[in-house]
Amino acid sequence: MYLRWLIPLGTGVAAVAQIAHAAQYMTIEQAQRAAFPAATTFAPAHAVLDAATMATLAAPAGWAPQIWQARSGDNQILGWIMEDRVIGKSEAITYALALDTNGAVLALEILDYREAHGGEIRIPAWRRQFVGKTARDPVTLNRDIKNISGATLSCRHITEGVQRLLQVYARTLRTKSPD
Amino acid sequence: MMRHIALAALALSVMLPPTAHADEVSLQAEVDALRTEVAALKDEVRQMHKAPATTPAPAVGAVASPSSAVVNAAATPQAVANAENTGTTLWGYGQLDYNRPTAHAADAQADLRRAVIGFSHGFDENTRVYGELEWEHAVTSANDRGETEVEQLYIEHALAPSYGVRAGLMLVPLGLLNEHHEPTQFYGVERNFVETAIIPSTWREGGVAGYGSTDSGLIWNIGVGTGPDLGKWDAASTDGQQSPLASIHQELQLARARDPSLFGALNWQGVPGLNVGGGIFTGKIGQGTPQFPADNARVFLGEAHVRWQPGPFDFSALYTRGTISDTQALNASFAGQPTPVPKSFWGGYAQAAWRALTWNQSSLAPFLRYEMFNTGATYAAQPQGLGTPPLPTERVWTLGANYYLNPNVVFKIDYQNFNRDDLALGYGDRFDLGIGYQF
Repeated sequence: MYLRWLIPLGTGVAAVAQIAHAAQYMTIEQAQRAAFPAATTFAPAHAVLDAATMATLAAPAGWAPQIWQARSGDNQILGWIMEDRVIGKSEAITYALALDTNGAVLALEILDYREAHGGEIRIPAWRRQFVGKTARDPVTLNRDIKNISGATLSCRHITEGVQRLLQVYARTLRTKSPD
Repeated sequence: MMRHIALAALALSVMLPPTAHADEVSLQAEVDALRTEVAALKDEVRQMHKAPATTPAPAVGAVASPSSAVVNAAATPQAVANAENTGTTLWGYGQLDYNRPTAHAADAQADLRRAVIGFSHGFDENTRVYGELEWEHAVTSANDRGETEVEQLYIEHALAPSYGVRAGLMLVPLGLLNEHHEPTQFYGVERNFVETAIIPSTWREGGVAGYGSTDSGLIWNIGVGTGPDLGKWDAASTDGQQSPLASIHQELQLARARDPSLFGALNWQGVPGLNVGGGIFTGKIGQGTPQFPADNARVFLGEAHVRWQPGPFDFSALYTRGTISDTQALNASFAGQPTPVPKSFWGGYAQAAWRALTWNQSSLAPFLRYEMFNTGATYAAQPQGLGTPPLPTERVWTLGANYYLNPNVVFKIDYQNFNRDDLALGYGDRFDLGIGYQF
């Protein structure tokens, strides 16, 4: 009878022995390359938001997404990639959003996820819902973005985050001339 | 911090939209020069912070002036994220209920059903402890009926991005509600009967489990751990009729643990908005009690569920069935008492909800649920005249609405219609009000 306990325990110990680096699913550099394989440079970019816009976006305190402009070898703008964090249920989720030159979503990648539950947002089928969305779309959970039952908070907060980033594009980057 | 403020100020001075400058071209050149300088400074700051990142690098946007904020690339978010991965976080949820049986108003009751504080602490990037502490019925003391419980307490270690192991007191991954039981997550004031009477939520066991998910949307969880103790069965009480498994679960309270139980669950969420899944739990529950007439008794509980959330709609259905074997001799020893151990018990429900109104953060979602369940569908055969007839199947309609003031605060109202009243089991038409929150 005691042997029955040993099998799964042994399996667990064996698995622990081959520890992998688990927290990060993808680095921002990998996300950049995946979204813009033709790009040769990712130039840090800036967006200026006035207080009214910040209030409209309902951005959390300390909100500071990073933005890069993807450029090809002949200096053509290929699009933008942004790295941002939201809180899932209680832990930070880091994600990257790639936009084409029209501000439509090319890809949403989860870079870092540390929640005990709700990791289902990494499932590609869920993330693909965002592809093609622009600032003109609602990008609202249970409207044009479907929920994952059991991961509602993660889904909601990522969706809100993407909506904010699309607004950043629409309000600042869209009119920005190339550096 | 000063460095960041200085940097922010510099960045702001650079980024503020130019107003009435005549010479735009030279201004642009100046801006470009400054921008290069800022980028170099940022690199320097980043290098400095790559050292022991004891203080999370604040983002430039966080120290922006009241008039504008610069959203850019000054911070090292990875350092921030890592710092949080090894930090401690708190969360919680609570539920306050009012139940008013329509035919027995004197039994109306208001209760602080549960208040829960949860915490997690990351020891390193891959290892964390996750716990929930719960108080039920407001007051816990020798003279009160409240309970204080550790609802979950386990170590989770991620072995890879998509799988890991957990060890400790964990929720059994069966059904739609057991693992996701916060009041904002379910419709109706009370949890549904099927996932209370048949799947005894909140059901937890101590043990070791593996979990993971695949890119195709399969989510799996398999484990071994403690199980119920049939030796706790009280044939004189109606607890076993209310919920056979809840009456013998151990909750890792000095749990008798000779016989391990196994559990496994598989869910598929490959299509957004759809969840199809099921799970099983099985184990011997005699726990080696000397002279116990049901030492070989085994519990098996299986369930299958589907939840589909197209647009504003939310449909779900679940069926579950349990059996307990080798109870004939034990039930014979209970002859004459009201609650023998059932051989089988089952339940199922179908529910439809509709987020009919949404404004700002608020929404109103009416719902309708139909449940059927039987906690004593069959009993092991007994000699003529000593057998127990099956319990009648209970059928409950629940019609109500969840009003979400915001996604984390819910006010609930519903009316429940029972096909058969049973005061001892709490069955009878009633009107319910509830408050729930989660943070």
